[in-house]
Amino acid sequence: MKQTILQFLKRYDFSFLGSMLSIFIVGVLNLYSSTHADTATGLDKLYQSQIMWFLLANIVAVTVSFINPKTFERFAYPGYVVTLFLIFLVLIMGKVGMGAQRWLVLGPIRMQPSEFMKMGLVLCLARYFSRVSPERPLGFKDLIVPGLITMIPAIMVVIQPDLGTGMLLVFIFIFIIFYKRLTWRTIATLGVIGLVSGVLMYNFGLRDYQRKRIHTFIDPYEDAKGSGYNAIQSEIAIGSGRLFGKGFKNSSQASLNYLPENHTDFVFAIFNEEHGFFGSLFLIILYLVLFMRLIWLATSVQRFFDSLMVIGVAAIFFCHAFINMSMVSGLLPIVGIPLPLMSYGGSSMLTFGVGIGIATSISNSRNLFN
Amino acid sequence: MFGEEELVKIHKDRATLISYIITACFGLILARLWYLQVYKGETLHNYSIQNRLRKEVVWAPRGQVFSRDDQLIVDNVPRFDAILTPQFLQEKDDTIERLTKILELEPDAIAKILKKNSNQATYRPIVIKKNISFAEVSKIETQNFDLPGVSVDTFISREYRDKEVGAHLLGYISEISQTQLPKLRDRDNIDYRLGDFIGQFGIEEQLDKYLRGTNGHEFVEVDARGRRKRYINNDNLFKGIEDEKPVSGMNVKLTIDRDMQLAGFNALEGKIGGIVALDIDSGEVLTMVSRPSFDPSQFSRGITSDYWRSLINNKENPLRDRNIQEHFSPGSTFKAITGIAAFEEGIIDENTEVFCNGSYRLGRKVYHCWKKEGHGSTTLVKAIRESCNVYFQKAANRMDIDDIAKYAKAFGFGTRTGISLPREASGLIPTKEWKKKRFGVEWQAGETLSCAIGQSYVLTSTIQLAQAYGAIANGGKIYRPYVVKDIYAPNGDLAKTFTPELLGQIKFKNNKTLKFIREGLYQVVNNPRGTNFYRRGQGIQMAGKTGTAQVRSSSADKVYQKCENMDFDSRHHALFVAFAPYDNPKIAAAAIVEHGCHGGSAAGPVVEAVISTYMKKYQPQMYLDNLEKDKLVRENWVQSLRANPAPKKPSEEPEDE
Repeated sequence: MKQTILQFLKRYDFSFLGSMLSIFIVGVLNLYSSTHADTATGLDKLYQSQIMWFLLANIVAVTVSFINPKTFERFAYPGYVVTLFLIFLVLIMGKVGMGAQRWLVLGPIRMQPSEFMKMGLVLCLARYFSRVSPERPLGFKDLIVPGLITMIPAIMVVIQPDLGTGMLLVFIFIFIIFYKRLTWRTIATLGVIGLVSGVLMYNFGLRDYQRKRIHTFIDPYEDAKGSGYNAIQSEIAIGSGRLFGKGFKNSSQASLNYLPENHTDFVFAIFNEEHGFFGSLFLIILYLVLFMRLIWLATSVQRFFDSLMVIGVAAIFFCHAFINMSMVSGLLPIVGIPLPLMSYGGSSMLTFGVGIGIATSISNSRNLFN
Repeated sequence: MFGEEELVKIHKDRATLISYIITACFGLILARLWYLQVYKGETLHNYSIQNRLRKEVVWAPRGQVFSRDDQLIVDNVPRFDAILTPQFLQEKDDTIERLTKILELEPDAIAKILKKNSNQATYRPIVIKKNISFAEVSKIETQNFDLPGVSVDTFISREYRDKEVGAHLLGYISEISQTQLPKLRDRDNIDYRLGDFIGQFGIEEQLDKYLRGTNGHEFVEVDARGRRKRYINNDNLFKGIEDEKPVSGMNVKLTIDRDMQLAGFNALEGKIGGIVALDIDSGEVLTMVSRPSFDPSQFSRGITSDYWRSLINNKENPLRDRNIQEHFSPGSTFKAITGIAAFEEGIIDENTEVFCNGSYRLGRKVYHCWKKEGHGSTTLVKAIRESCNVYFQKAANRMDIDDIAKYAKAFGFGTRTGISLPREASGLIPTKEWKKKRFGVEWQAGETLSCAIGQSYVLTSTIQLAQAYGAIANGGKIYRPYVVKDIYAPNGDLAKTFTPELLGQIKFKNNKTLKFIREGLYQVVNNPRGTNFYRRGQGIQMAGKTGTAQVRSSSADKVYQKCENMDFDSRHHALFVAFAPYDNPKIAAAAIVEHGCHGGSAAGPVVEAVISTYMKKYQPQMYLDNLEKDKLVRENWVQSLRANPAPKKPSEEPEDE
């Protein structure tokens, strides 16, 4: 018996859980540092609930890791449909919070179905692409059905309005079809469609405040009072960190409340202010280790579905991390996307937990169950 | 076809490509960070250290509240606090000494305050003295440069012009509490923060969303010590920075009349109780005062614990509203409803005579009339006028409690009036079904007799009584009472206006019912034998009913004990409800005086004061005409006294249960 457990532990892939833990430790220290002064708003206790969420995410991750990947495949479509239905419910009866309806309240439980959709979409696309003409590069016609699978939830999420998550879904889609291989013609066609729909979207699909963000991005100094203010303050925070940072708990930008959402979208700015360029380099390496490990796993599994799934999980992590870092440092307009395992937030923490669980499960399936 | 494993292999080059792309993306971010942190690092670092542009909340001025005659009753007044930020203190002892001198404090007062707050972050300002004078403000401002770390915090205090008058109606504002925060965020979809002030009671609570306005923000430049710089010198980084002006809250005009409020308040001096007056043709609340009261201004900037304790520990409970948040036994004021029920059900008519010998026996229980020797032969009008228990009990004995309840409910008793104020009490009108449900016991016939004279389970609030007597006066129209007339946008435009809401129209089977009930109510006040004759006032032609509600049920030997001789807490509650003027009614009012013993002498003057004020102010012609009529009443009385000297002013107040 003892032997079997040892055997099991030897074969169990702890690399993803370890990677998650290492980033989380950096994250929770940073969260503590950036909020410790906010005693008046009660935010100073936030790191405690973040730890609770992380423990929960670990339980979820470990639980998911024991599910056979074939089960994911079986539940891919039903899971997608249920999540889509939940998003639809949010649209018609969702709880309005901070000007946007994202929450679905069922008794004591508050759900954010758009969060589930990230994983739901990955499962659904993986299932779809693992069966449809898997061996040749995708032509444009091959993208119609998966395109719909992506766009329906994406548009519903944007209507909520949650532009960030909507964009994220589209990025996940692009990431996966890129992996699935595209013909050059398809890439060109997609480029044109992207440009045209982008212009249309900008003119007709966006709300005023969303449009304003894009203006702000192009010239933050023009509208320095509104969202431009955040962009400028964020850049000041990052820049003032210089090479080595101001040190733990020494962010003046955070303590003077220059930065809004210290604890969610702008954690990376605080991290940069306190730990400087080399701190960020360290953090980015932690993320790269996780991504490279995921991509390596994608190339070493036996089933194509598993491979697509792992790529999807990598897509979720990468898109979050890249978009968040880019917007905070002024490379992209400001949209509300959390930094994986660093930003405060229960729902997103659970999503990343599920992702880590899926990756571990697939990794284990290579040697644990055979 | 390829096998699964081959498929994975086919995509290996893509995976490699993706890993390059990911690396490149993070390379891009690192390049950006390098640009910000190394290339522009020095500049941005200086910005963060020296050029502290702080975004500060500018509180929206809360809307003002006016009375119906456009008198300002709730206003915002600027006040100043002296604050100190420990982080920026230099030459601590010297600064503290100077500040102590300016503020004329005890030598060690500041040290004590600092010690008390020593565990909080040093950049958080500490309030040294609240509400400092203009002279002190200017001294601190002029010495600003010698007093690093000391500054003046301006805030807007909510001031209630008449202090305690109508405090329960107006309510107060105070800081949102930790427990309210999540609830209210959900309810209002406003991102409240700790430190936000919200309406907590009365109008302030009910109309919070109109009154509160929208906060703005401004950018203030502070130097490295946190002192505000007077002039913002925008460098290129912050060009075009603009403040966002707050949007003032909306102004509210109440249906309340300020002079009548004062009259009611003064009339309740030294008493525990409340008065409500309604316009009977609309349901507008003209007066709503409860005493003892509290000063809502005290809440608007952190109530002192001494004041709070004095409110909480006061046995008379000044925070409790006696008009809508409380219900009482209506006592004899309920007899009008019993009378209407009996008349409508055909049990009595105006000529029905009942003999009152002072008590009425049902089964083994004896029900006493308040008048020990009895009223003798009694008609409806006389029964109301002299508040004969036996008359109404005999009538009630031929009815069912459900019959009485039917009429009582039609007059609005037993349900909330729906006045838009928080925490209204519903009152209670018992039915057989209710008792079965509540106690699991059948209704007893004797209980009907108690309920018929407004005792036992029957509970009403003053606002319900005023509403019902208003309906008696206006022919059975039940209006929903309301306190807000108009809401005005900050620029003076009318944003919302409230109109009368007719809740029901009582249809009377017998067209004589109201005539004789009103006649009886008129005689209560204007006939020398009436229970309120001696508080009839001048020129107001009231018609009304006194009532006394037993606080504890008295044992037989104590029935005739003088109320004043009892313990204060056991004394009866006194009520008086009236409408006026009798021949052209405009206003209905109900007053309760807790432990006041006699409806006539305790509650009567309160109603009289409010109605007199109303008549003089709003119906001056009618008032003058009525003065003439009163002379007539007086002459008749004097004549009748000459003819038959019997009824003189009683040496004792009628007990009038």
